[in-house]
Amino acid sequence: MTGTTRPGRWSMLLWVAPAVLLLVVFVYYPVVENLRLSLYRWSPFSPREVFVGLDNYAALRADPVFWSSLFNNAAYAAVSVVFQVGGGLVLAAVLEELVRGRLKGILRTIYFVPAVLSLTITGLLFQFMYNPQIGLVNGLLDVLGLDAWKHSWLGESATAIWAIIAMSQWQSVGYVAVLFIVAMQRIPRELYEAAYIDGASRVQAFFKVTLPLVREMTLLAMIITVSGAFLVMNEVWVMTAGGPNNASHTLGTWLYKSAFFNDQMGYAAAIAVVIFLITMSASILQLFLGRGKAVQY
Amino acid sequence: MTAIAGTSRHRRTLACLIAATAIIVGACGDGGATTAPASAEPGATTQPASAEPGATTAPELEGSISFLHKYSDPRYAPYFEAVVAAYMAEHPKVQIEIQAESDQGVKDKLRVLAASNTLPDIYFSWAGDFTKKFVRGGLAKDLTGDVTGDWAARFTPAALEAYTYDGKLYGVPITLDAKYMAYNTKLFADNGVAVPTTLDELLAACDTFEAKGIEPIAFGNQYGWPAIHFMTQLNPYYVPADTLQADYDPATGAFTDPGYGKALDAFAEINSRCLTQGANGISHEAAQASFLAGKSAMHYIEAVEFFALTEKGGAPADLANNWDFFMLPAPADATGDTGYLTGAPDGFLVNPASEHLDIALDFLDYLTTLDNAKKMVADLGWLSPVQGSATADNTFPQNVQTIEDIATAKGMAIWLDTVTHIDVANAYLNGVQAMLDGTKGTADVVADVQAAAASAKAASE
Repeated sequence: MTGTTRPGRWSMLLWVAPAVLLLVVFVYYPVVENLRLSLYRWSPFSPREVFVGLDNYAALRADPVFWSSLFNNAAYAAVSVVFQVGGGLVLAAVLEELVRGRLKGILRTIYFVPAVLSLTITGLLFQFMYNPQIGLVNGLLDVLGLDAWKHSWLGESATAIWAIIAMSQWQSVGYVAVLFIVAMQRIPRELYEAAYIDGASRVQAFFKVTLPLVREMTLLAMIITVSGAFLVMNEVWVMTAGGPNNASHTLGTWLYKSAFFNDQMGYAAAIAVVIFLITMSASILQLFLGRGKAVQY
Repeated sequence: MTAIAGTSRHRRTLACLIAATAIIVGACGDGGATTAPASAEPGATTQPASAEPGATTAPELEGSISFLHKYSDPRYAPYFEAVVAAYMAEHPKVQIEIQAESDQGVKDKLRVLAASNTLPDIYFSWAGDFTKKFVRGGLAKDLTGDVTGDWAARFTPAALEAYTYDGKLYGVPITLDAKYMAYNTKLFADNGVAVPTTLDELLAACDTFEAKGIEPIAFGNQYGWPAIHFMTQLNPYYVPADTLQADYDPATGAFTDPGYGKALDAFAEINSRCLTQGANGISHEAAQASFLAGKSAMHYIEAVEFFALTEKGGAPADLANNWDFFMLPAPADATGDTGYLTGAPDGFLVNPASEHLDIALDFLDYLTTLDNAKKMVADLGWLSPVQGSATADNTFPQNVQTIEDIATAKGMAIWLDTVTHIDVANAYLNGVQAMLDGTKGTADVVADVQAAAASAKAASE
């Protein structure tokens, strides 16, 4: 068998070129340009870009809102890994193993529906639920006699970001569960039958059969969830706009506010670089940890 | 009248993306039309009449311009579309491309367009520091020599003054706004409460309502600006006007006058005795719904929102027929000037790089004719800076009363969150929110504001 002929190689490049060009123009160039802009002080109202070196990064280090935003993102990621990945996995296993017939499809749909709702709609919906006067959450606490637990959930610095994170879990757990369901449906039934013949319980089958065989999907779900947690913006902006007193900002909303409210484009570019480094590092780390460990029976 | 300072207000921050939708209106008139009777119906496509000089006597204009406004709301956009269509009908060789944005979206879009040097020929801008940014960047045309004679004479002087910097005019005002305490006259009468004339009387009125299980003032501060509007009014009450003017200028701001602390203390007192608790978690609109439903006795509101309190604007008859308004009363021990009223005009700037300045100016002239201003008042329920545009014939009584009240005010205290440097504005926005949720006290906020003012001063140097 001979290698690819020269004309074949050229035609291959020709086919690949449009995609590469699009990536270069819309992904790689903006990343590099953003890195350059992060070294400048620049306002949209002035054509002057002033080179400031690493000053924007030094300002980031000293900015308490940047650190609280980073903490909020980390909290978002940690909670999402537990509730979306962990919860989604358990939910998928329960739906696949314990629920039968039409109910399975109905429940799957019910859990998945929030994922297709617009973030703006869910944000507004939860604004009503968290309303301190007429909201369902405080109403429920009232009914349960837990008056002391009532809060202005989105209006207090201590509770705002957690209220948003909770909404996000509600919205996304069904989506991750469906990913796991797809992975679980690809597991041959014989493996479970063999496990049950050997005396395994359902819980043991979950840990010995299901969990190892959805490892790749778990990795993918974690990458999606962690990256998503560091890119989160819309739900925060819709529900609190980063308030009160900047307590619920994430890196995304702080970037947006710095650029489009405070007119600090260079500073916002520096935040974008940090977000890029975090999400890229998290993805590389997770890929590295999951490398070559795919389980086959 | 003099403006203490000027600029925009931050409202309804729902939009999170750079809004880039442009509504292209390519409607072109039949070319033969000159003028037609104004329509009082929103969404009408008939041409408003123009009885003003300049609209029909200008030399034949030819070309295409772009026009960016922030009134994309379906309730408001048709008015601007109708005026543009009417203008193009009178000028068959002119095309005006409308770019309609939301209140939030326009802030993003203007920054993107300014940064890329692609501003439209005519674009919206709030008075005050927002406009000053364009002026400093050379992105706003000096209109001093253009808005003269009959055109200039149409406007309430304070409205033009809000767009005047260093003696030069940079904007053409389109709306006029002021902040008032709307109140439910039936609840006041039923509970024997008189309209308060001092801050203490207001607090006592709040106590009366509170004791009877009625929420005194419906208040939602989810995005921070509603509380800032209180501060916009309270600062002039406690701080002498000259000091205030110097402090609102980034180059000289220090905020060391003890009046700033007193104003914050007054707000804290109003909050504890009058306002909805947990307000940071409630939107302004949700609070307004409480007032509309008759569950709250008062609601601090902009005059441009008055329309929402009328039956035509969707209010229940019980409320629509039983409301009035008063200015937030001053404290008896006011050390500042009690004649200033919170409010500002909104308006349009002209891109100095426009290839068709003649059309841009002629269209702005047309947009602000008395007839078009009357149509705006009738269609949208807003107030116009064009004198004589609001009468008992074309709007509800409270709007007419507002115009009269604004005329008696000594000056306009422009929105604090936009009249000051952005660092100072943020210190106030965040600080007052922190006061409401109990994480900061007056002294903390004053210290934050002073630090922000020092930072702004250093930056301006």
